[in-house]
Amino acid sequence: MQNEIIFAILALLTIVSSIVMISAHRPIDSALAFIVALICIAALFGLVNATFLFVVQIIIYAGAILSLILFIVMFLNIKDENLPDEKNKNWWLLGTSLIVAPFGAILIDLIVRSDIAVNMVPAEGFGGIKDVGLTLFSKWVLPFELVSILLLVALVGAVTLAKRDN
Amino acid sequence: MSDSLLLNILLLSPLLSATLIFLLNISIAGVKQYIYTFLALMGSGISALLALYISYFSYAENQVLGSHLFTWLSIENFIVEVALKADALSSFMILFIAPVSFLIHVYATGYMNKDKSYGRFFAYFNLFIFFMFLLVLADNPIIMFIGWEGVGLTSYALVGFYFEDIKNTYAGNKAFIVNRVGDFGFLSALMLLFIEVGSGGLSFDAILSNIGQIEPSMLSLIAFLLFVGAMGKSAQIPLFVWLPDAMAGPTPVSALIHAATMVTAGVYMVARFAPLYNLTLDVSLFIAYIGAFSALFAAIVATRQFDIKKILAYSTISQLGFMFMALGVGAYSTALFHMFTHSFFKALLFMGAGAIIVAFHHKQDIRELRGIRESIPALFVMMFIATLTISAIPPLSAFFSKDAIMSALYASGHIELFIIALVASLLTVFYMFRLIFVVFYSKVKQAGASNSRSMIYPMAVLTILSIFAGLLNVPEIFGGNLNISNWLNILDKQFFISHSDEIILMSVNTLLIIGVIFYTYKRYAYSDTIEKESEHSLVANKFYIDEIYSAVIVKPLYALSVIFDKNISHHLIDNTIHRLALYYEKLGVVFSYSENGNVRYYALYMLFGVVSGFTYLYILLRAAL
Amino acid sequence: MLQEYMILSIILFCIGVVGLISRRNIIVIYMSIELLLNAVNLSLVAISADLADTSGQVISLIIIAIAASEAALFMSLFVVLFRNKSSLDADLFDMLGSKK
Repeated sequence: MQNEIIFAILALLTIVSSIVMISAHRPIDSALAFIVALICIAALFGLVNATFLFVVQIIIYAGAILSLILFIVMFLNIKDENLPDEKNKNWWLLGTSLIVAPFGAILIDLIVRSDIAVNMVPAEGFGGIKDVGLTLFSKWVLPFELVSILLLVALVGAVTLAKRDN
Repeated sequence: MSDSLLLNILLLSPLLSATLIFLLNISIAGVKQYIYTFLALMGSGISALLALYISYFSYAENQVLGSHLFTWLSIENFIVEVALKADALSSFMILFIAPVSFLIHVYATGYMNKDKSYGRFFAYFNLFIFFMFLLVLADNPIIMFIGWEGVGLTSYALVGFYFEDIKNTYAGNKAFIVNRVGDFGFLSALMLLFIEVGSGGLSFDAILSNIGQIEPSMLSLIAFLLFVGAMGKSAQIPLFVWLPDAMAGPTPVSALIHAATMVTAGVYMVARFAPLYNLTLDVSLFIAYIGAFSALFAAIVATRQFDIKKILAYSTISQLGFMFMALGVGAYSTALFHMFTHSFFKALLFMGAGAIIVAFHHKQDIRELRGIRESIPALFVMMFIATLTISAIPPLSAFFSKDAIMSALYASGHIELFIIALVASLLTVFYMFRLIFVVFYSKVKQAGASNSRSMIYPMAVLTILSIFAGLLNVPEIFGGNLNISNWLNILDKQFFISHSDEIILMSVNTLLIIGVIFYTYKRYAYSDTIEKESEHSLVANKFYIDEIYSAVIVKPLYALSVIFDKNISHHLIDNTIHRLALYYEKLGVVFSYSENGNVRYYALYMLFGVVSGFTYLYILLRAAL
Repeated sequence: MLQEYMILSIILFCIGVVGLISRRNIIVIYMSIELLLNAVNLSLVAISADLADTSGQVISLIIIAIAASEAALFMSLFVVLFRNKSSLDADLFDMLGSKK
């Protein structure tokens, strides 16, 4: 019961902060709202025993990526006149929501109707660093290596893109 | 060397040289003329040598060479093999086609000397030989049809060779279009043959062994349609009109294509389908009558022509008529033998005419070419021998071939055909000697340029062949044994004619011919009778056949085309399509607003698609959930 | 718990899509993309917990790594775009379109 209450609070917080994120005018507000959403999601991870991902989510997302976004926002020194003037923003948001609504409604309907839960009982240490590590380096070692290459490519690409053309 | 390789080289060497000449001609400007000469003579020379070898092989060893190149089509039981076969008939055809082609090639190197389209000419010429070989060596009628169309195509290209003059192009078009009518017949016959006996295989052997299964009326239709093809290609009534106009091409073309080889393709085809025609006697008789009327008609027209090449063109139609007469009464090997000798003397006559034309500044009217004997004695001798040959004076080659036709006609019991043939042959003598006496025996004299050796030597060879070729098929009455007829071994009808009758026929024929020669001499030699002959008589205007065709067929068709063009094509089809195009364009402008370059709009469109597809699927599958 | 997690994941995904399409600010668009990834991660983790199988979490881990590399690229992209047009308006970058 306790878990359900925590889940409800976290879910509500996530949804609200997400909505704030996509509707805020200034990027800095969006970013701050997004941090809240990410932390809530991290907590949701923790709620289902994904302790390692909980840590990773906080460190990488809430820590690294978001601070990178904030850094860029500050670095670019964005003033209000640099922001796009989105007069019809709320109409756009409303219109798109109406389009997406049936999509979400159908999906939710499908989820509610179907009985997908199997409720397996997790073993001791499930979702911990050892468990995840063992799976990652046995079953998923090839994707892991590929991701390392992808990171290298992204690194080089980022440097190349940001370099000033002379 | 294996046998099939020989055949392949024979077929492909002209194609190779044509390709090389063509590539050189289009890619490099100013190629030296001798390179083209070398390539052209190599292509035709190799095939001529091989043809002689293969024919000798077939004659002496009585063996059938074959070569299977590849399978062209294989659709259930419709299997078209690209295969060659040199049986006796095909070997006989290449025996004269290849050497005559080679000789005319040599002649053409002199005739076309310094021509600015020298390379193009020999590319076409070699291509023509390739298609001609394909036609006679084909193992099934479909490959034969490719050769048939190919020679028509190259003939078209060569008739309109000097395309700067629009008249030549029109002549080429006429030849091509009239031949289409014939080809339509040929193609229809092939389709019917396929429907009737196609399941038994498409090679000649298979078809001819299965024709017994076809019901007689259908068989007659097939035979008739095949002959329509022959009519077009061999310029018989009513499809002969293209041949006189085809003389617009260079003279070697007239000699090779429109006298010696291509126009005989119809005769070859009928002989190839001899077993079929033996079953359809009504069609055979029809062929004989068409041949007879063509022979007579063309001979009459030729007596009042003034263009040296036109005379020879009508003579060709007339001689082909003789061959069809012989085919019609079932004397296939006789017809083929006449074709054999005809190719030599008619090529010789054309080459002589071409040499005269070159020597005398491209004059072709015999009234302007008078008195030229002294300046070109060698040509005169050769032309005179050729004329004697075509007149069938013994013992020159055409005597044996034409006399055989006469005897066959006489013995077949169709006396009316025999009389027509006799009149036509006497008219032949008349118009040929009219040509000779007008041109060579005259009070006036004129001098011309001399011809190059490359033109004279091939003619000399052909003169010898014209004289002696008849010895290959001496009838038994002269102690011969009909070598060629025995070799060909076609299902000839056997005619019985007693030796005394035959001798009487020959003597009467020969006496009549000599009489006509004397009459012609009196009338034309050293006189100006020719000047008094009208150019506007019925005969000189070819009985207005061209005009009649124009009024009856061409003009109405043209008027109909104009109506279709104006109303249906322009108003109905063009306008509809233009409207549609306009609407599409307008619609395109509307849609182009959606392509504004903002990726998020594209994402929006995608979302529309995904959501609507998803919703549709959900509605569709909800019942199952 | 699985159903609730999935529903939350769907809602977050829809919010992400709405933000992605309706906003013109590049930074917000980027964050919407991240939200989409997080929504997927959430469902993966929930399924992994339900099945007591760690593979789902490993996939999430890989997605987070990909998101990190994407972040690096996006940041340099922001710098370049802002340098060129002094604006964060996505609609200014429409060279794909047919109009000139």
